[in-house]
Amino acid sequence: MEIIKLSKDKFADFLASLSEGEQKLYAPQWVGESLRFAPVTDSSKVELGMANTTVPPKSIFFPQTETLYRYELGGTEMQQPQVRDTGVVLGARPCDARALVIVDNLFNWDLEDPYYNEQRVKNTVVGLACNNPCANCFCPSVGGDPASTEGLDVLMTELEDVYLLQPLTEKGQKLCQSVAAVTEKAAAGDQDAAENLHQQAREQVARKIETEGIPENLPKLWENTLWQETANSCLGCGICTFLCPTCHCFDIQDEVEGIEGRRCRMWDSCMFKEYTLHASGHNPRPTRRERTRNRINHKYSYFVDKFDVIACVGCGRCINYCPVNIDILEILQQAKEAL
Amino acid sequence: MVDVEKLKEIARETVSRDDVKYLIGWRQGSFGFRAAPHFVNKPEDTDKLIFSPLCSHNLATFLTLAEKLPVPRGQEPDSRKIALMVKGCDSRAVVLQLAEKGISREGIYVIGCPCRGVVDQKKVEAKYPEMGESVTAEWGKETIIFDLPSGREEVPREEILAGKCITCRYPNPLIADAGAWEEVAVWGTDDYADVKEVEAGNPQERWDFWEDKFASCIRCYSCRNVCPMCYCEDCVLDRLNPEWVMRSVNTTENTAFHLARAFHLAGRCIECGECERVCPVDIPLMKLNRKLTKEVREKFEYEPGVDPEAKPLPASYRPDDKEDFIL
Amino acid sequence: MCNNANPYVPYVATIEDTWFETEGDRCVKTFKVTLDEAAARDSWSHQPGQCAMVGLLGIGESMFCISCSPTEGDFLRFSIMRAGKNTLALHEQEAGDKITVRGPYGNSFPMDDWKGKHIITIGGGIGQAPLRPIVEYVRANRDQYAGLTMIYGARTSEDLCFKGEFEEMAQSEDLSCNLTIDIEEEGWEHNVGFVPSMLMDLSPSPENAIAITCGPPIMIRFVLENLKKLGFADEQIYTTLENRMKCGFGKCGRCNVGNLYVCKDGPVFSYATLKEIPEAFA
Repeated sequence: MEIIKLSKDKFADFLASLSEGEQKLYAPQWVGESLRFAPVTDSSKVELGMANTTVPPKSIFFPQTETLYRYELGGTEMQQPQVRDTGVVLGARPCDARALVIVDNLFNWDLEDPYYNEQRVKNTVVGLACNNPCANCFCPSVGGDPASTEGLDVLMTELEDVYLLQPLTEKGQKLCQSVAAVTEKAAAGDQDAAENLHQQAREQVARKIETEGIPENLPKLWENTLWQETANSCLGCGICTFLCPTCHCFDIQDEVEGIEGRRCRMWDSCMFKEYTLHASGHNPRPTRRERTRNRINHKYSYFVDKFDVIACVGCGRCINYCPVNIDILEILQQAKEAL
Repeated sequence: MVDVEKLKEIARETVSRDDVKYLIGWRQGSFGFRAAPHFVNKPEDTDKLIFSPLCSHNLATFLTLAEKLPVPRGQEPDSRKIALMVKGCDSRAVVLQLAEKGISREGIYVIGCPCRGVVDQKKVEAKYPEMGESVTAEWGKETIIFDLPSGREEVPREEILAGKCITCRYPNPLIADAGAWEEVAVWGTDDYADVKEVEAGNPQERWDFWEDKFASCIRCYSCRNVCPMCYCEDCVLDRLNPEWVMRSVNTTENTAFHLARAFHLAGRCIECGECERVCPVDIPLMKLNRKLTKEVREKFEYEPGVDPEAKPLPASYRPDDKEDFIL
Repeated sequence: MCNNANPYVPYVATIEDTWFETEGDRCVKTFKVTLDEAAARDSWSHQPGQCAMVGLLGIGESMFCISCSPTEGDFLRFSIMRAGKNTLALHEQEAGDKITVRGPYGNSFPMDDWKGKHIITIGGGIGQAPLRPIVEYVRANRDQYAGLTMIYGARTSEDLCFKGEFEEMAQSEDLSCNLTIDIEEEGWEHNVGFVPSMLMDLSPSPENAIAITCGPPIMIRFVLENLKKLGFADEQIYTTLENRMKCGFGKCGRCNVGNLYVCKDGPVFSYATLKEIPEAFA
């Protein structure tokens, strides 16, 4: 498939052609004081210059709150939400896109999840290669890469004056054709420049973990003091899980206003005590020790056991945002030493 | 000046005591300009202790966060003390937790750490965006000195201090069983400029300001969990029956959450700024808390956690109160 | 499985009959329900051990084991203890009221593999609910199984679920029906003592036998110990787990014990599987 390039001065036109018709365009923008993916209404607000958004683009495919169906109190008719528009997710970092491929496994084993899948089918993901990985990025350690193409329809690389766009799938090809008016064919030199940037970025990733042996052996450290030591300072908040691009747990609640009711799902966190609390009052994970142990085991062992891939893409968010500096790489390192 | 060796010595003595279960202090973090809470169980664990301008965490939170598991039949509950290090602002939380009877005086051992102000992570990270491996920091004379990979850098403290420290009037611990060094002179004054700035707007402008902030809330509850004064065992926010605040994350419910949180801290917020520090989406929560603090100070001449003898505000009704609705 | 293309959307069902199994704060009420749509009834097929999400629009959904065997007829039964928000609201429902049902979820007791064996159920309190379908299923196919022993106990005779069925069972040639209560009571004609002790009193032979236990964690612990003493192999012992669940089909995350999802890999597990999972009996 042909690689094209977009001159930076045509960026606004490019955005305009991506949001033509009914198509929704999502891109990183400042919402309040934080960067996240939101529908583009003003092209000047799109911010591609920062590294990862605070909230990962999983929020488009798996919104924090999502209506499963609506009903009227006293009735039995259940109304499913309207079919959604197609969309383009612009500027997803390769780690966040890879996370979608990982989570696809879960939303499609046994019964398929119609809500998530609809968004996956309807959205074209245009990724942006990381030229400057952050201090806590470690994507290569968990099978990723600053220019990984997994989960992407188009890989975009920022060069000095242009963006290089490499279509990777049929959807990506279609998108590239739709912006033909504002782009041109890339030169061989452009591709070399992109390759060089990718290589530089790869070398820049500073933090590492050797994961070999962890998935099969981590549960053996069940009674290790490591979990209590980690849990001591844990606040039990939802930051690490809510901001994790692969965390997919949800709660389902009925919410009623007047006679209008809806059954909806919302992100939930295994770090919350209510997450596993039985109605009887019994809690199989009674303290933060068990919850911390479950979080790490789930990502690095249970998920691998089920789907043959680690449920962590090395985006570094849980490390960056943890209020008490609980650092997953330190935990894994300690685990390795204890094994 | 901070004498870390002396601090470690006090800590070693403390954890060696038979009546102390463990000690909570700070250690250098795993990257950048971070520190982290450090739980010390044995004397040798004190080696990692630090006290520096990176030590933002209010460790009083861990007094009420400590999980109390049921005591197995036939065993006595562990009644040993929890020792902790406190800065001036942190000590106000301890004073108020005691006044509210959330903790008992016999259950704690307080090591006071007079403080010259801690840094605002976001300000430092904006100043040194090439953050990488762990960087240590220390106090200079009205400066903060960073040991960067490129060399030592001294930064005027006004430039880099956390907002709560710029207006700090209580840098010295108000309660302590042991202390590490001499008191520091108060440098801050507080005219509530940040609150007045929001108050200056008309209702619509103020609403727009907060609506924008609350819209971005992801309801991770880190602001609640980190708060040393938010320690109800059964939090109104977790209730499903009745569901006071719905689980749905949208501006309406987020607003209900933030107002409930702020009002439950009226006359109780000790201004350690932890809620604002931990917020992953940078909601300026201290503006909200301090609005209530300001009202309480003006109307009741009350400041929480500064007087160990004082009753908590909600428990201190006066017969000459000018509002008579309560009667 | 729900035939619907959207597994989150439940069937509507009508309550046909309800009755209380036990009294008190945590009383158990049984609901006999029928799915409203004929197509739903036709496609629904469940096996002993499986669960379903039962809910009320406007309140919420919770997972319950189906407490009847498919051999009993074209209806479903749920025996529900009053504990939280959802169960409180469900207890207010009576015959004629509408509820929502989706499922069935999870694996089931391997009734086919157990053919020709002596089936022993060991239950305590509300733990009899998932065992009752086994008893009914074996009785309906009695010639295919070598034997059926039911051991069931509760704190008091009042706390026994399915009381109305025991008189007939005690007379029946189909099974050995063994009831026990913890504390002596006037007029009680059966055994007094804990379930694990009654198991030892009966001392069933492990030969060609399968033991299935469900009840309070402490009871399960001692039953397992005693089954081992009697010589049962790990593969001959089964139990069924419950955990908080939201979706029922392996998406919402919370019901895992170690690397196993209770809703998909369970709820039925052999002890051979569970003993490898440190979290299983938490």
